[in-house]
Amino acid sequence: MSELYLFATIGGERVAFRTTEIEAVVKLRELTPVPGAPRYVAGLSALRSRVLTIINAAEIISARFSCDAGRSCPDCVRQGLVCHAIVCEISGHSYGLLVNGLEDIRMVDSPPMPVCGRLDPAWQPHVRGVIENEGQSYFILSVATFLGGGFAQAA
Amino acid sequence: MDELLSEFVAETRESLEALANIVVALESDPSDRALLDELFRFFHTVKGSCGFLDLPRFERLSHAAEDVLAEIRSGDGEPDSDTISAVLAIMDRIADLCSVIEHGEALSDEDDQALIDALRRESGATEAPDIEERPGAPADHPVARATGNGAAPAAPSVAAFAAPAASAEPAAGQGRDANRDADPEAGDDAAVRAPTVARTIRLPILLIDQLMNGVSDMVLARNELARKLRGGTADPELENAFERLSSCIADMRDTISRTRMQRVDRLFMAIPRMVRDLGRDLGKKIEVVIEGGDVEMDREMIEMVVDPLTHIVRNSIDHGIETPAERRAAGKPDAGLLRVSASQSGSQIVIEVSDDGRGVDKDAVAARVVASGIMSAADVARLDAQERLDLIFLPGLSTASRVTAVSGRGVGMDVVRANVERIGGVIALTSEPGRGLTVTLRVPLTLTIIPGLILGAGGLNFAFPRSAVIEILHDSNPAVSVDRLGGGLTATIRGTRYSMIDLEDVIGRPKEERPGPRTLMLVRSASGRPYILGVSQVENHEELVIRPAAPVVMSAGIYAGMTLPDNGHPMLLLDAGGIAQAAHLPLIAETVDALLPQQAEPENAEDQYSGLRFIDLDGVERVIRLALVDRVEDVPVGNFGRVADRSYVTIGGEVIVCAQSVEIAADGAGMAEVTCLRVRDDAREICYPVRSVIDIGTVPERLDIVLRQQLVAGVVVIDGRRIEVIDGLALLALADETGRGGLRPTRCVIADGEDRWNRDILAPLLHQAGYQVVWGAASADEGEPDFGDNAILLLTSGKEGDAVRAGGGPGVDGSESAVPVVRLRRSSVPDGPDDRSIYRYDRVALLDALSALEAPRGEARRGAA
Repeated sequence: MSELYLFATIGGERVAFRTTEIEAVVKLRELTPVPGAPRYVAGLSALRSRVLTIINAAEIISARFSCDAGRSCPDCVRQGLVCHAIVCEISGHSYGLLVNGLEDIRMVDSPPMPVCGRLDPAWQPHVRGVIENEGQSYFILSVATFLGGGFAQAA
Repeated sequence: MDELLSEFVAETRESLEALANIVVALESDPSDRALLDELFRFFHTVKGSCGFLDLPRFERLSHAAEDVLAEIRSGDGEPDSDTISAVLAIMDRIADLCSVIEHGEALSDEDDQALIDALRRESGATEAPDIEERPGAPADHPVARATGNGAAPAAPSVAAFAAPAASAEPAAGQGRDANRDADPEAGDDAAVRAPTVARTIRLPILLIDQLMNGVSDMVLARNELARKLRGGTADPELENAFERLSSCIADMRDTISRTRMQRVDRLFMAIPRMVRDLGRDLGKKIEVVIEGGDVEMDREMIEMVVDPLTHIVRNSIDHGIETPAERRAAGKPDAGLLRVSASQSGSQIVIEVSDDGRGVDKDAVAARVVASGIMSAADVARLDAQERLDLIFLPGLSTASRVTAVSGRGVGMDVVRANVERIGGVIALTSEPGRGLTVTLRVPLTLTIIPGLILGAGGLNFAFPRSAVIEILHDSNPAVSVDRLGGGLTATIRGTRYSMIDLEDVIGRPKEERPGPRTLMLVRSASGRPYILGVSQVENHEELVIRPAAPVVMSAGIYAGMTLPDNGHPMLLLDAGGIAQAAHLPLIAETVDALLPQQAEPENAEDQYSGLRFIDLDGVERVIRLALVDRVEDVPVGNFGRVADRSYVTIGGEVIVCAQSVEIAADGAGMAEVTCLRVRDDAREICYPVRSVIDIGTVPERLDIVLRQQLVAGVVVIDGRRIEVIDGLALLALADETGRGGLRPTRCVIADGEDRWNRDILAPLLHQAGYQVVWGAASADEGEPDFGDNAILLLTSGKEGDAVRAGGGPGVDGSESAVPVVRLRRSSVPDGPDDRSIYRYDRVALLDALSALEAPRGEARRGAA
């Protein structure tokens, strides 16, 4: 059973998303800050006539893994540092999940494997399994649970 | 046909179509419970809804079918082919009845009973109770009413309306034959008859939303293109094409917004029933009058208004209208009157609920407020009558002396107000003790597009609903003083103290260093008293398309949604109530001058209006009716100009007539910006440059000296000072003279778009006169072009080909043509006595001819012939 995965990094960890969950990947050019919202809400961004609520994935996992640019996401984006967001729609709202690095989109033939070893408790609730690509293993994350269930835990 | 009925018909038809297959499938597999259940549910639903809608024939038919199916479900019967046929016959009959309702015709009910009997016979069912008791019920009244004069009942045969049954052809055969026997010649009749009702389809809202998004995308793309075009060299052809694209997109946006509209009827539909039930429970007699059900508003808005409206109506019945005995004692008729009306006023819908009951006892309300410790007796004593009445909106207050089953105690008027204000609405009360209470709701037409202000604070821009803003002032205004006490801010405006909060503090960002005064906005909050919101500036106002924000964003508690303005940068819409809550503002206002001996209240508040006082360019203090002023704006001096002795100003890319030349100002040369009042009625706008704006205040309606001179209507005395009053009529009349009074609805179709004279001389002339110009040749390939209702065809060459190309048809001389025609000729002398064409340089004759044709269609046609 081969499946198409998107490989990226979040807070320095290698992760993979099933492409069936993903609508698009966009390069962010501008972010409107949302004062008062939880830290993991990086801002708003326009994708054509849609408004995406951009979620900083690393921040959801834990503030410790946050991107080390040392600036707020809107500032960072304004300075032209490339950031990518994975676009998806959950219960009528459009989100963009901010990932720190975007590596590849590739078909993987082997099925996902269970997680081995003791995980950092911050990652524990999010990881769906492990998949191998070119000799390296990646966490499998689900965008939906990340954005759906992730809020409750992070908030 | 009322909306409920048509909805019922549409739903029933839809289900019928879906069910036709199920019935057949059931026949082939009688043991399939799921299919049986589905069929049963259909009849059950029909039976239920038609009881409500008073459609006894539907009820009898569906009841019979339901009975038979119930037996099959309980195992007493078997869905054999005959039973199924009988059920199908009933379904066909229901479909017929649907058509009959739609077309407003009568359908003989003679054979209903035959169908029902057939059904029972086939199923071998025991006598179902209740049906036999009223055989041959008279033709039910919706149908009877529709025909009115008792026209001969024509039974449309199933054949014409067979869509639902078509797929079930073999099994349905029997039932259909039976029907046809009943009225053999009706088939052709029905097939010929064209449907008279507007055809409709039902669409998922999601699809409409997608469409709306698509159009928004187009608008953004258009804007980008506009920016690109502005940068390059001007190419008139390209610009023309672009203009056309722009207007198409604007039209489309309008049309799509209209698809979201729905008649307010839907909102009012449940009221009579509710009033009847409540009245009976409470032993009150109540008459309901409903008006303005044909007003349209956004369907989402209707959903949002249902709850507040229901609550208000319940309150009126429970607390307002008295029992018959009480009413007799008060000298009123036994039956109370409840009046619910809707009307459109500008971009708002006004919904009014008025009763002739006992009204609200202001003093009882005030006493209760004091008793519950919300306000002190001294505070309450300072309030005027209206403020005392508005106390009813305070949280935790119920005027009912006892808890009743109807209104209960749970939700009060505070919740109603909060709900109305959340959707950008306003609620107001007018009470006449002993004579009744009127509750007025003003809500925006649509939830999705609201007039908004764009604010700047902490380096960010936010949108703010304009409906929540009472007043905007600069903190440099002498009428305002801001106090800081223990970290808290208080602002006093004209003697009234308000809690104040800076938006930067709420959003946790540093204040921007910028020159000039900060802006203070007096804002309505859902939780009661208005408060002041300080922002660094109000930048603009715009119609904003509001969309819901994601739950994480809403969790901040200070946002009401988000919007994507035309510049493409997302923006958050602030929630006035949420900000007050987040800032923990004590929302109490006191009146300083209330401590002073009260001045004698003016006899009648209606004799006053609120006016904007300003220093005019000539240094004289004048006042203008506030309602006429759309907004106040600072405009750079360079934007003003004069053309042929008239002043103009360019604001935001628009050229607007100026009421007076800015050069009048003695110190005009020194000013970089001129404050402008933008005055408008529903169609035209004029800009009134002034030296400075002073304040808003009440102005007596009666002039102390009537002195009509140019723009001044007279003089009033306010606080011992003489102030000149601007004559709104004279002012707006200036805007009219210039002919910039908006586009005429009539379009001029010029047949030959390639002719240079047409393009360069004729079209500009028509544009100038306010007509829209459409080129006939462009539509040539699309067959018969549709010029719409208000088009006039202009022919400039004698060639018949022109006429055909422009869609005028062969009978171009006017009589048979679809559009009125004006012919222009090149020669100044007519061809002969029959030549009715107009010399093409005779501007007056041409414009006269056009405006004569602008008259209502029928006359226009006669005029053309």
